[in-house]
Amino acid sequence: MGRRRALFRYLMARLALAPLMLWLIATLVFLLLRVAPGDPIDALLGTRAPEAARAALRAQLGLDRSLGEQYSQFITQLLQGDLGTSLTNQEPVTEVIGNSLPASLELGGTALLIAAVVGLAVGFSGIARPEGKLDLAGRLYGVGTYALPPFWAAMVVQLVFAVWLGWLPVGGRFPTSLIPPAASGFYLLDGLEQGFHGGGWQILGGALRHLILPATTLGVLLSGIFANSLRLNLRRTLGTDHVEAARSRGLGEARVVFRHALPNALLPVLTITGITVASLIGGALLIEVTYSWPGIAFRLQEAIGQRDYPLVQGIVVVVSTLVVLVSLVVDVMVAVVDPRVSYG
Amino acid sequence: MNGHQLWPESLLNAALPALLSASLLLLASGCGLIAAPASRPDRLIIASSSRLDSVDPAGAYTFGAMQLLSALGDTLYSIDRAGRLQPRLAADFPSLSPDGLKARLSLRRDVLFHDGTAFDARAMVFTLERFLAIGKLSYLLGERVSGVRAIGSHELEITLKRPYGALPQLLSAVNLTPVSPTAYRNHARRLLNDRFVGTGPYRLVSFSDRKQRLDPFLEFWGPPPANRGLDLVALSNSTALFGALRSGEVDVLLSTGLEIDQQAALHRQASRGRLWEGMGPPLEIGFLSLLTDRAPLNNPVLRQAVSVSLDRELISRRVSLGLRNPLRNLVPPSLEGTLPDAWPGYRPALARKLYRRAGYCDGKVLPLPLTFRSNIPTDRLFALTWQAQLRRDLGDCVKLEVSGMESTTAYRQLGDGAFPMILLDWMGDFPDADNYLVPLLGCDEQRGDRCLRGASAASGSFWAAPGLQEQLRRSAALPGEARVPLLRTIQRRAAAASPYLPVWLVAPRAWARLPVSQPQYDGSGRVLLQDLHRR
Repeated sequence: MGRRRALFRYLMARLALAPLMLWLIATLVFLLLRVAPGDPIDALLGTRAPEAARAALRAQLGLDRSLGEQYSQFITQLLQGDLGTSLTNQEPVTEVIGNSLPASLELGGTALLIAAVVGLAVGFSGIARPEGKLDLAGRLYGVGTYALPPFWAAMVVQLVFAVWLGWLPVGGRFPTSLIPPAASGFYLLDGLEQGFHGGGWQILGGALRHLILPATTLGVLLSGIFANSLRLNLRRTLGTDHVEAARSRGLGEARVVFRHALPNALLPVLTITGITVASLIGGALLIEVTYSWPGIAFRLQEAIGQRDYPLVQGIVVVVSTLVVLVSLVVDVMVAVVDPRVSYG
Repeated sequence: MNGHQLWPESLLNAALPALLSASLLLLASGCGLIAAPASRPDRLIIASSSRLDSVDPAGAYTFGAMQLLSALGDTLYSIDRAGRLQPRLAADFPSLSPDGLKARLSLRRDVLFHDGTAFDARAMVFTLERFLAIGKLSYLLGERVSGVRAIGSHELEITLKRPYGALPQLLSAVNLTPVSPTAYRNHARRLLNDRFVGTGPYRLVSFSDRKQRLDPFLEFWGPPPANRGLDLVALSNSTALFGALRSGEVDVLLSTGLEIDQQAALHRQASRGRLWEGMGPPLEIGFLSLLTDRAPLNNPVLRQAVSVSLDRELISRRVSLGLRNPLRNLVPPSLEGTLPDAWPGYRPALARKLYRRAGYCDGKVLPLPLTFRSNIPTDRLFALTWQAQLRRDLGDCVKLEVSGMESTTAYRQLGDGAFPMILLDWMGDFPDADNYLVPLLGCDEQRGDRCLRGASAASGSFWAAPGLQEQLRRSAALPGEARVPLLRTIQRRAAAASPYLPVWLVAPRAWARLPVSQPQYDGSGRVLLQDLHRR
């Protein structure tokens, strides 16, 4: 009961701190963008537009107002859930993010699944014969995939499977010959729904074909972390007293591994998963660029290049919120799963 | 764990391949089980790197948006493949009032918008006023036009702020393509980003930032498109674009965003007959802007020395692999009034003499800073190649100190005089000599040879000359060939002072797979998408 209360208190404290954290992030991004050299007007009009046209556009976009006024408007809008309007196309930032975020989540989610399955399988494979061939191969795999530069690996995969073999599309998220579903933004889900409602499986098939290369590349590159983490933790756990105690009680080795060692070894992996999810939400940039994947990281990179202040601010705030939420959920999960964690 | 034979080994031996197989299932399924959706043979897929934020002519400013609008819209005038100006939605060329301040145009009467409403003078007034009010490039029109009104159902009167000889060329700008007042009723003063209702040969069926679907407009007034529809797709990197054409995933590839070595590879394949290649009019210029109001390049002798130190042929060959022609003028050679060899060519002996006259060589080396845009690969290659060329040929007189800066950051600092020398590029909004001279040489306020405010200052050179602005104004007012001598005089003056050094000329290119026809360009540098067809 005491532990539950402590956990509840911790959760409340984290939730109370979240807005403060987001305000700090939003303020920092706002200031950094204004301090950074470059001007959205240059990005929009180039350098040779007449001064009058530049001034007119500056006024139209509200960039002629003082920094304080701009900041106060930004924060006021933010409190009302309004992220402003993109400078480049005058669309609401929430709409732009709403169009890009599902793509990133779909890619990130699938990649994470692949990373977890492959990584845990590889990490687990070495325990039968520590320092054996399989263990060595698993270690090499872990280090190798982690060390591979993502853009290079992605380009090689793209060249082999899309250009040379022609098995899969070079890039994009959906076949050119089909109209993308205008439902949730998650094409796999939309495709499944359409398939189950008798609309054919073309949408799902098309979305999968386009997802396979980027998700597999990203997943395999991330799997090394999972593999190494599980391998190390499992080896450490298998040497602990409580595992020896289990063995001495005459339990079978499978029961010892799966019941006593694996759950403990998976705890750090859970934390790593949380960190990976957080980094995936906004960090799959190189994969998104290489595969022309219309995700949020790619959109953020473009917005920074265009000095589209509201869009950059909006994306950072949304991604930060997700990261805060994910880390909170992971912390709670760890606390629930691991009785040793104390929040008193 | 050591010393314990784990029972699950057999389980592992079976489970591991199963797990690995499961993770690879997606890949395998993609390779075989999930068949590619059949592409419709009557449609063409066109790829470029252009992701579009808006299809609104008032909001369009990127090459990709202009290319799309050229297929969806139609302008009052257009420039054909041979570079000739042709009336399109205008029935004839404008008639000017004696003072040259009022232009009257008759419009075609057989034109319909994609929503079925009729195109008339009222629609054209709506379009031009809308562009003046919310157009991102509204200055194109606003600087020259003070008003526009309908004087008949298909008669238009444009009032100019001052006489302007290139009005038809201005009206060929794709941003001025008419839009339906009915469809844009609620967007008269705001952008309509994802829909377009114009008069062109295609209508927009669907729009997303990376994919646009176009179907032929069956009631188009002109010849119908040679294909049954187009899908324009954007891929974000050069390798993906190159690979998409190689693998047959797309039918036509536009050169925008394609790395120069991949362009060269496609060019070689086209030379061997494996692809079609089309080349547009070279209208984009690459040039160096020299800071003329501060040492060391405030010395005209040094600017001349730098001018004759640039081996354009070598640099073009090495950097652009021969795809960009050396340029010795600010006005592209295809435009009326150009003076192709206005700037001197590479003359190392003369350069050495000039450096000596400025007090360099013989033990004193001029450190010459050059900034390049770090996010443009060819800029970096140019800087490094020129640095090596100068080290080889004039190393005892001049040393190029190169540094990179991201383009948006550099543009912000251009007008502050931050760069002694910087590599830039420029393409006029419509093909006319004025659009290359005024944006580089124009000046609103000057003191002696120094431009305090205006285009020359914004371009980072700050060069001005007595009487030059008056010459630019007079040249803009003169029609047709009458202004050619004046244009040439202006170019000679600029070449003599060398505030800019033209470097190369960039022509757009497009490649098509052999089952498709050869891409052709109009005189404004846009692929004629309606002419593409499967052979």
